[in-house]
Amino acid sequence: MSDAQLTDWRNHALTLESEVNKVVVGQKNPVRLITTSIFARGHVLLEGDVGVGKTTLLRAFTRGIGGGYQRVEGTIDLMPNDLVYHTYLGEDGKPHVSAGPLLMSGENLSVFFFNEINRARPQVHSLLLRVMAERTLTAFNKEHYFPHMLVFADRNQVEKEETFDIPSAARDRFMMEIPIVVPSDAGIMESLVFDTRYHDVDTLVANVPEDLLQFDQLNNFAAILQNSITASPTLRSYVLNLWRATKTPTDFGVKISGVDMNRLVLSGASPRGMGMVLRAARVNAWLNNRTAVLPEDIHEVFHSTVAHRLVFSPVYEMRRTEIAREMLTGIINTIATP
Amino acid sequence: MQTRFLLAICTLALGVQIAHADIILPDVNAKYVSIKQENPDRDAGYVVGDVLERTITLTIKKPYELVKESLPIEGYEHRYRGQISGIELIKINTQETSHSDRVTHVLRLKYQIFTTGKLAKPAALRAEIIKLRNTANKEIVQYRIPSFNFRISPLSVFGSVKLKEEMSPFVRPLRLDANQDILQLEIAVGLLSLTLIALLYIFGAYAWLPRMGAPFAKAYRDIRKMPNTTEELKKAVARLHTALNNTAGSILFSSNLADFLQKKPAFTPLKAEFEKFFTLSSEVFFESNEATHLGENPKDWLLKFCRHLRDCERGLTPNIPSKVSR
Repeated sequence: MSDAQLTDWRNHALTLESEVNKVVVGQKNPVRLITTSIFARGHVLLEGDVGVGKTTLLRAFTRGIGGGYQRVEGTIDLMPNDLVYHTYLGEDGKPHVSAGPLLMSGENLSVFFFNEINRARPQVHSLLLRVMAERTLTAFNKEHYFPHMLVFADRNQVEKEETFDIPSAARDRFMMEIPIVVPSDAGIMESLVFDTRYHDVDTLVANVPEDLLQFDQLNNFAAILQNSITASPTLRSYVLNLWRATKTPTDFGVKISGVDMNRLVLSGASPRGMGMVLRAARVNAWLNNRTAVLPEDIHEVFHSTVAHRLVFSPVYEMRRTEIAREMLTGIINTIATP
Repeated sequence: MQTRFLLAICTLALGVQIAHADIILPDVNAKYVSIKQENPDRDAGYVVGDVLERTITLTIKKPYELVKESLPIEGYEHRYRGQISGIELIKINTQETSHSDRVTHVLRLKYQIFTTGKLAKPAALRAEIIKLRNTANKEIVQYRIPSFNFRISPLSVFGSVKLKEEMSPFVRPLRLDANQDILQLEIAVGLLSLTLIALLYIFGAYAWLPRMGAPFAKAYRDIRKMPNTTEELKKAVARLHTALNNTAGSILFSSNLADFLQKKPAFTPLKAEFEKFFTLSSEVFFESNEATHLGENPKDWLLKFCRHLRDCERGLTPNIPSKVSR
């Protein structure tokens, strides 16, 4: 692929980003991270309170990407088969079976949004894990493929009742966990409340031009993109040190006040996780019109790709968001390049 | 019977007496030994405590050789008729030089006077008798080193005296030889000074002048020594990164440069140069295929930048051209 084509795709990506930023204001960083994950072909876990714009954000992206969009609400009584099919009595009085959210769009499914994923049972998580990892599903004696599917899930960290914590194996399948917080800028906050434009989500999302990207070409382009952006030996060494530091932060002198660092980390980032860091970093370099990954590209995606993969001692799990952020910042501030 | 017994007793007593008497050896033939003496300059005016030195050079021709065990030993004090002479040998040094037909022995003898009297009295560095062995027939003979006669004076006049009045302006007071102590003191002071200087150097962060050991000053010295090659350029950039990290207290990237400048405003005039440095670092370490865009030799530019950083570190205003081109 020529440089012109890389540039052409970059322009499309930046246009999509710009259009989404017009619809969902004050979320530039999450928008950049979601754009990155789309081109790195990674699933995204959104974390945020109720009503902060997670669904609007995803709908806006889905409209720009094109392809099928399906959404399911996580509830305690949701079962795996609810994702695959549903049965009902038809007008003719006979039972009927129709495709569930996963199968409804067939191979054109581009975004599958799982709302409040932590309210679903582990059986549902298990099904989703396979779909995320293999992008296939066996149902009705047939193998169904979702080659273009990205899973966007969200969870509310505050409410704990009637929820099932997502196991670390499931968290590891997500490329990124992106926090969505209410913008702190007073002007944006005022707009969100008083500007009627933001009250009607359907009309708002309709402002994003349809099919800015061709969803069925993203896989091919992502592979080419990954091969086009280089990583120097110095950067490789740096990333390996970052990886080691997530496992044994004490070896690198990383400290967090009030935390026993020797007991904190049960498991650091996985090889798959670090691979995803590099995939995302390459996309970030490409979005910034570079042909090689810089440490700054790693930093841009480091928190969102690594924080949710860390497994802490149970005593620190309640503070994992805060501790993970502090630990990863400490790692970046401690490990030198070169 | 009684007379016989007394005669036997007398005979036995005489035999024991003869066995205990000194054996008088024959003198060596004078043609085999020559002597050279170096005696003290004067032979009078010595007082208790004085040390006299004499050097005896003996040349002994073959077949005779010196029996070293016959040399006087340190601490030996002569006696005359059972009375100690009060003159003790305190040091003896020997030096031997062999020739084809003779051996030369140099004996350096030091005697100290431990006696005095109410009046001046004669004394002598007694004649030392040494033994020689004929290597051909094992005959032992003796040689007598001549004595040196001198006079020992009392420390003061006899009778009741007032020292203050008796002190002579022509004789200076006795002084202890402190040269050795002074030398030891000088060496100790020298060592102490060196230790203090070393301690000062260590406490001064291995720098001889204030701020000489600061991160950029050290980095400047290191980079200046590095050769101007591509590989060394990497080391130079890495060295400067280390200095920047040490100054910042954490790893400094272009993304947190603004925070660094806010914390260390002395470096603010170098903002544009910092950006050039991070570009250079990216090119060198991460985008090695791309050419540098400094417009001059990277090593020269790096040295200049490091010097500016050192100036800022020392609280000086760096000499920066009015417009830094990117």
